[in-house]
Amino acid sequence: MLSKYLVKIVSGVVALILVLLLWVLLISKPSDGLVARSPLLGQPAPSVVGSTIDDQPFELQRRKGSWVVLNFFNSTCVPCINEHHLLVDFANREATNENGAELYTVVNDDSDSAVRDFFSKNGGSWPKLKDDNGTIAVAFGVARVPETWIIDPNGLVRLRVTGELSEGLLEAQLDKLRNEFG
Amino acid sequence: MKQNKSVWLLMFLLVGLLLAIGATRSGSAKTQQDRIDSITSNLACPTCSGESVFVSQAVAAQAIRLEVARQVSTGTRTDDEIISYIEQRFGGQVLLVPRATGLDSLVWSLPVASLIISLWFLIRAFSRSRKNKPSAPSAQDEKIVEQALAESIAKSRQS
Amino acid sequence: MLASAGVAGTIGRALLLVGFVGAVFGAFAAITGVRNNEPRVIRLVSRFAVLAFAAAVGAFAVMEYAMITRDFSLAYVQKVGSWSTPPLYNFAAVWSALEGSILMWVLILSGYTLAVCFWMRKRMNESLAAWAMAVMMIVLAFFFLVSFVPANPFAAGAPGVLDGPGPNPLLQNHILVMFHPPILYLGYVGVTVPFAFAIAALVTGRVGEGWLLATRRWSLFAWGFLTFGIALGSWWSYEVLGWSGVWAWDPVENASLLPWITGTAYIHSVLVQERRGMLRVWNISLLVATFSLTILGTFLTRSGVLNSVHAFSESGIGAWFLSFFAVVLIVSVFLIGWRGDKLRSPGIIDSPLSREAAFLANNVLFAVFAFIVLLGTVFPLIIEALQDRQIAVGAPFFDRLTVPIGIALLTLMSIAPVLPWRKASAETLQTRLFWPAWCGIAALVASLALGAYGLAPLLTFTLGGVSSGAAMRQVVLATRRQGLRGLVGRANGGMIVHLGVIMIAVALGASNSYSKSQELSLVTGTPAFFAGHSFELIDVIEVRDDRSISVKARVIVDREKTYEPAITKYTRIGMNVGTPSVKASLTSDIYLTLEPPVRQNSSTARIKVFIKPMITWLWIGTGFMALGTVLAAFPGRRRRPTEATSALVPTSEQNAL
Repeated sequence: MLSKYLVKIVSGVVALILVLLLWVLLISKPSDGLVARSPLLGQPAPSVVGSTIDDQPFELQRRKGSWVVLNFFNSTCVPCINEHHLLVDFANREATNENGAELYTVVNDDSDSAVRDFFSKNGGSWPKLKDDNGTIAVAFGVARVPETWIIDPNGLVRLRVTGELSEGLLEAQLDKLRNEFG
Repeated sequence: MKQNKSVWLLMFLLVGLLLAIGATRSGSAKTQQDRIDSITSNLACPTCSGESVFVSQAVAAQAIRLEVARQVSTGTRTDDEIISYIEQRFGGQVLLVPRATGLDSLVWSLPVASLIISLWFLIRAFSRSRKNKPSAPSAQDEKIVEQALAESIAKSRQS
Repeated sequence: MLASAGVAGTIGRALLLVGFVGAVFGAFAAITGVRNNEPRVIRLVSRFAVLAFAAAVGAFAVMEYAMITRDFSLAYVQKVGSWSTPPLYNFAAVWSALEGSILMWVLILSGYTLAVCFWMRKRMNESLAAWAMAVMMIVLAFFFLVSFVPANPFAAGAPGVLDGPGPNPLLQNHILVMFHPPILYLGYVGVTVPFAFAIAALVTGRVGEGWLLATRRWSLFAWGFLTFGIALGSWWSYEVLGWSGVWAWDPVENASLLPWITGTAYIHSVLVQERRGMLRVWNISLLVATFSLTILGTFLTRSGVLNSVHAFSESGIGAWFLSFFAVVLIVSVFLIGWRGDKLRSPGIIDSPLSREAAFLANNVLFAVFAFIVLLGTVFPLIIEALQDRQIAVGAPFFDRLTVPIGIALLTLMSIAPVLPWRKASAETLQTRLFWPAWCGIAALVASLALGAYGLAPLLTFTLGGVSSGAAMRQVVLATRRQGLRGLVGRANGGMIVHLGVIMIAVALGASNSYSKSQELSLVTGTPAFFAGHSFELIDVIEVRDDRSISVKARVIVDREKTYEPAITKYTRIGMNVGTPSVKASLTSDIYLTLEPPVRQNSSTARIKVFIKPMITWLWIGTGFMALGTVLAAFPGRRRRPTEATSALVPTSEQNAL
């Protein structure tokens, strides 16, 4: 007698599992890029102490009071090259603004000379931070360059963009954040 | 036959003893590098798939290796704390071994449950087979089996 | 579709449409023909099979032509084509992304359909064959449709493109990309044949052993190619990916492993049904599971829901595969339920000490194995769906759970081959296992003498010894009795496969447990030492070509030969690919990788050295498995298929053998 129920129970359980599986698969969305999640959003930015490739000391904590944009960069990465003119535009726009955001490039696995060459060729006079051991990249959880982060005047992480920037994305997001968090 | 049995007993004892010896001796003493290696083998390289930070050549994995090495060498953090540090930065998808808490624990308990259920199923099938034995195969079935077996044996002898 | 798509695009799309129509009509002809019992209509099926195959071959040829002539009017060529790709890799570029791989699926499936049609040509009037053809045609029509609508390789691309990035760098730096995907697909797609016959058996109600015997060799063929394809994949992983491992438990790897697991369970349990008429529902379920896992795997890896080395991350196609997966399951479950009464087994297991009991235990283990792999693969999706959180389930998890299963399977492999059908006495077992047991003890003593430690690897070596003893016993007895004929047939060929599996198990046990690694900072002229080997850097050189800049470190190992681990930057894609250099030997491999950052013309380089014991035996074991599969496919000792207690089957199907 038990065996009769058993067949029904087993097939019922199997069917239930399959329905659940189908449901999970159905609502799973392909991952999309750009504005990305990070456990750091809304949290204080990791401490960054180091120097620029021109040997100027740098400490992120001291930049409190203004919006900070960090762009993780490598001079041979194609999306980094592609988005560079957008960063130049962004830097120009912020330079005219009284409370303009500060833009910093964080060099990822690249030699100082290659970075200097790149910037002298393609423009961009903002500071470039050394990150020889990848400590800054690891602290932010940057896996693959380019990545762009926005940190608010209180030192809290507000935005993470993974991959190549699109036209106007950074400006729009920053304006939105300014309205939201002052 | 009796002699045979004692030989088997001896064999099992021998194997058990040898396994015990082998299982208790270990390779070599734990070094700081071993600690780094074991931490990084349990972290996923964030830019590759499936590869651990320990084996990966990717730049991001390299950076994480250096960071882990740095934190190990300062000696203030435990392995779990270092892993949590990396998790907080890169998110839960860098943990190659899912946690055994909350909903995540299902990934550990379900396989064990499935094994227990299937073992129970197997034992049940075997015990039922023994109980039902006299009535199970019909006389006709038996005859077919016997005949076919005899035939096949005869054939194999021929060839 | 834009008018600007060139001639190739138009012809290709037309051919896909022709193929789709052919497959639909083929299915229609098979079903109406068999239902109204009209041989003339049924005869049309083979014509439609020829039509569909011709269309698939044509479409594939057009795609190759477009790729070789770099016809950048096609979106697909824009995606994976490039003037700088060398000819061979350009040829393989056709299957290096989603649309092309579906096209290859279509080609192979239409080939299988035609082959089955040809093989069944004299018996097409039988309902079983006709329904099997109908199922194959329906599946084929689905794939033609997928290739025509969501994954059309002949879609027009943006105008004005003159060159593209070329295929993924990982797919253009080793010759294996020519062989690994087609061979894996031969296995993956080949599963459709036994599945079609299983469904046909359910539909026609001829659920006896006839369909099973008929498709035996097809199952073996597909299983063999699946095995070989998976092994080639892990060889590729080892030789190309530079992480020194052979299996990463990556979702795509798991997607190919899942049907292999259920398929392996099937080729064992099918023997029980052949001999004893038992496990009918189970066998049909295994085939349904195997086929639907190929579809599910394709969904998981091609829809972009999981990220993976192999994932082509395309959306849109996911819904198609998911719907098809659901349809396959619903139809199969319905049919099994509908035929439930006929599927009741006539036999019963007499004793736990019998071969059929061992097969049952084997199947239970394989089922748990498949469940673990499936659970681990989809678990991140479950967590994301329920808690919107991302997690990973990686190699350490799978290793921890599958090692005990592997050891349990090795235990079964030690005992099962010496067990007779129906019932064994303890005495029989003692006599037959006597020499295998000594083999196990010898293996244990030898591995201890060589310095092995740890319970799991030692158990693996011991059981490896016992099970190879058990396998050898069967082969030796059979050859002693029948000469060279004792090497062919399923039981004997199967034992050769077992020997291969044992080599692989031992190799995995050794390489996973006793690998050593060290990063060495090398300076030219100063040798470094690790694990008794010397490593001396000669220089760091740079090699450039159209596609890439490659930095190689030339390292002399043990003062003998130069090895050149490299990092290659594919400039068009902006991706770094490390290329390892391996000194292989039967006892252990020395695996060298170059670590970033690299600077050419430098006098220093950082090298990571892995010492991996016994890896070569993985490839030797694969060779044994392939050889054993071929031997098993040859007819062994002639025996009537209905020997012992098979249920009654229609006679015409017995003649198939």
